[in-house]
Amino acid sequence: MALPRPVRYLLQALAYAAFAALIGYFSNRPAYRQLADDEAVVKLSFSHSAQLRQACRERGEAELAKLAPNMRTKLDCPRERSAVAVELDMDDKPLYRINTPPSGLHKDGAATVYRRLAIPAGRHQFRARLADGPDGKFTFRHEAGIDLAPGQVLIVDFLTGSGGFVFIHGK
Amino acid sequence: MAVLPTSSLTMRASPLLGALRIADERVTSAFDHAFAPADNPWRHLGALAFFCLVVAVSSGVIGYALYDTSVSGAYQSGLRLQNDPLRLGRLLRGLHRYAADAFMLLSVLHLLREALRGHFRGVRWFSWLTGIPMLWMLWIAGITGLWLLWDERALFSVTATAEWLQALPLASDLLARNFLTPDALNDRFFSLIMFVHIGLPLLLLGAVWVHVQRVSLPRMWPPRALIAGSLITLSLLALSFPAESLGPADTGHVAAQLSLDWYYLFPHPLADTLSATATWALVAAMTLFLAVLPWMRSPSSPARAATRVAQVDLANCNGCSRCAADCPFGAVVMIPRTDQRRHPRQASVIADLCATCGICVGACPSSTPFRRIEDLVSGIEMPDAPTAALRRELQQKLTALPGPEKILVFTCRQAAEFSVLNDASTAVMPLECAGMLPPSFIEYATRMGATGTVIAGCREADCEYRFGDRWVRERLLGAREPHLRSTAPRDRLAVVWSGRAIEQVQTAINSLRCGTGRVPSKSDSDRNHSLEANHD
Repeated sequence: MALPRPVRYLLQALAYAAFAALIGYFSNRPAYRQLADDEAVVKLSFSHSAQLRQACRERGEAELAKLAPNMRTKLDCPRERSAVAVELDMDDKPLYRINTPPSGLHKDGAATVYRRLAIPAGRHQFRARLADGPDGKFTFRHEAGIDLAPGQVLIVDFLTGSGGFVFIHGK
Repeated sequence: MAVLPTSSLTMRASPLLGALRIADERVTSAFDHAFAPADNPWRHLGALAFFCLVVAVSSGVIGYALYDTSVSGAYQSGLRLQNDPLRLGRLLRGLHRYAADAFMLLSVLHLLREALRGHFRGVRWFSWLTGIPMLWMLWIAGITGLWLLWDERALFSVTATAEWLQALPLASDLLARNFLTPDALNDRFFSLIMFVHIGLPLLLLGAVWVHVQRVSLPRMWPPRALIAGSLITLSLLALSFPAESLGPADTGHVAAQLSLDWYYLFPHPLADTLSATATWALVAAMTLFLAVLPWMRSPSSPARAATRVAQVDLANCNGCSRCAADCPFGAVVMIPRTDQRRHPRQASVIADLCATCGICVGACPSSTPFRRIEDLVSGIEMPDAPTAALRRELQQKLTALPGPEKILVFTCRQAAEFSVLNDASTAVMPLECAGMLPPSFIEYATRMGATGTVIAGCREADCEYRFGDRWVRERLLGAREPHLRSTAPRDRLAVVWSGRAIEQVQTAINSLRCGTGRVPSKSDSDRNHSLEANHD
């Protein structure tokens, strides 16, 4: 049974309104909470080529003679690099630990790390250590006390050219 | 409304799927009350999605001319538009954003509705399969558009996407480093993203073309009324609730709460909740499931090979091409004659495209029961339901009715199983599709003693085989060959697009018993001209 035309038009208007409401609402709402109001963020991120696992050694004459003429280089340097170990502490407590292998099929690439960590906002003492040699000793260290406001981001990077760890944080 | 829960599709479905299909029918019915069946937006979800894509692309072309692809200019570009004193920029931004959102919503609804109706099986596998990469493409096109604004939401999304990509086994942890500090990003990022954001929607337009390649007369555009209504709705939404940028992207600060466009950014909260790896596993499993769905068969569903495709009988085919014109899936093509008859062409069936609906039989002028040859064979036949068998069944069923009242009901198996209507004065003849019925059978039934004839099929504009109801209506009105002859007793004919609503068919039968049969009228004809079938 067909409805009267005004009723049909009214129903059509309601259908379009519902469509608009559906589009408009989920286009912006509900808001997504990615962080508590009193939390800040630490992003540990770096790409670092660690030391070679084995030191270069000099080949002897007999050994060189066995090689093809075009392969007779004095130094034999294995390509494989060491894993990179990182320890990040906050207020003398471990915040994050990772031992990341080198990249590449021959394990001769850089080790890369990216982690996003939510922490309570406020003043904290951060200490970072990195070991990149075959002996696993922490050769790079950095420590700083940083006041992080809610929502503020602290980036913990490792730049060999800058001497090691860099703590970057906005005002 | 009394309905028969026994259509062939529903019988094979699980209780949940059956309930969802009934829900879909109810939604369709509800929209039919507000819109004419041919203008029902629920039947035009795919075409509406395409229209929204066109609106998004068109508004995006203008937006691109006003956009600055640089780190410093990207955010300002968005602000300039939203603060335009004439509000044209606000309209442009809103139309672009909301059309893109509507595109996603309508595409998903289109997919769900087609899935519910089983439109991934058989000949529809191609349309189904080609639709899956389109979902990925539209998602990537949409999410990159949100990045171009380079506000807080963009930074959150691009970082979250990088983190999500980093969870893939072969990806390194370097992607997210590009968004750690302001210095890490350069203008080329926005050029790259703009390239993707423009390229993918253009590819999508091409993908839509591929998507509808295996259907005849694809309905690309929704009816004009829906175009106007949708455009007005999106424009009002854009002006009333402008799509605005959040604060500028700040790598040193993370907002505790963010306003998200959930149509495109839903993977980020999902990855936060489930983990990036689990989210990848989920979307990969869903994509794979959708991709293999056409070839999955429950133990209760019949094998495709059990139904034989249409076959051409050259001795009875005069190459008139009506079957080719009426086939909803382009399965019948006209080729040069291979026998010695004088007709230049003959029909040929592409078996892989044949849906076995039998609409071609209804279109064939030789499918008439009045022919006097001993072995009645039509120019094109369904091997499982040849014309001769239909004529024999009609004769037997009418003869079996004691009379004096004899009502013959041609029903469509896709709508419902109407066998409960069989009684002392009513005989039901099920067909694969109402469009399979040659109009001459109606007149023949009268000659054989039928006092009334009813044709019952899927809901109007909702034919399982796309064009069954449309072709039947046009044939009965004399607008399409083969016609129902003018001498046919139209006052003893009722056509009911009832779907599964048995009461409508019963009402039609009762009206014929009372001598008030419903005859296709001029108003039907007017409606018919505006009626276009969906491409699904």
